[in-house]
Amino acid sequence: MEERLYDLIFICRPATPEEEIDKIIATLENTVAERGGKVEKKEKWGARKMAYRVMRHREGYYVLMVVRAAQSDTVHELERRLKVNDAVIKYMTVRLDEDMKRQKRLQQRRERKASRRPRAPRAGHGHPGGEQPAAAVQQQ
Amino acid sequence: MSDQTQKEPQAHEAQKPAEAKGPGPQEHPQSADAHVAPARPAEGRPPGGRPPEGRSRGEGRPGEGRGNGRGPREGGREGAKRGRRGFFRKKKVCRFCVDRVDYIDYKKPEQLMTFIQERGKIVPRRITGTCSRHQRWLAEAIKRARNIALMPFGGAR
Repeated sequence: MEERLYDLIFICRPATPEEEIDKIIATLENTVAERGGKVEKKEKWGARKMAYRVMRHREGYYVLMVVRAAQSDTVHELERRLKVNDAVIKYMTVRLDEDMKRQKRLQQRRERKASRRPRAPRAGHGHPGGEQPAAAVQQQ
Repeated sequence: MSDQTQKEPQAHEAQKPAEAKGPGPQEHPQSADAHVAPARPAEGRPPGGRPPEGRSRGEGRPGEGRGNGRGPREGGREGAKRGRRGFFRKKKVCRFCVDRVDYIDYKKPEQLMTFIQERGKIVPRRITGTCSRHQRWLAEAIKRARNIALMPFGGAR
């Protein structure tokens, strides 16, 4: 199976000690590694206010991991582990690779367009008269 | 639904006369540009965009020698007078298209917050002027953000 890229975000109770969060992250990393995947990024956003209350908490400790999974059951197992853990109050996995592919494609197309016709009709965006006020606004 | 069907013909009416009475066939793209241009500074573009690229392109253009003579303001005023009912409707531009956004990140709720109403509704694109493609991406990003409590479902509490 081709590799897939996922965003894995989970929220812990704000009172969870730092070590325990590190422990959760470590187990998740292990799980991924066991299945031939890779954790590309892990970010601890720290405690931040949530937009609504989750399990009576107004704040939560956010952790983001970007996972490249090689096997299809990776995400399933990760989610199972998060579900089991009491400190985790919310989690979400989002598949990213398709979005990234689309983004890349669009970028390439734009570059191609730009190289083919240096003065494409879309240059209308950069209208010479229109630039003046825009620049002025940014300076302020 | 009925609200929509009513609104659409109106919008067409407002635009058509502006186009039909254009100064001449060649100046069409010009005046269209002019409509867009003055709107941008007022719109308050997010600073995170890519203005440098746009500017360098713009600088390439004065070679044509037309753009500098008549400022964009002129075009704007013309457009204003031409509306049949006499009031000026600013032409809306998709903010994401201006910044050439390829992916709307759900992890940046600060940016998405401008596209929801007070009670948490996603602002329709007939109001924000977002193009259909970007509105689709935007809606998805907002929904993802809501799911993980980065954005509210129904108004901030």
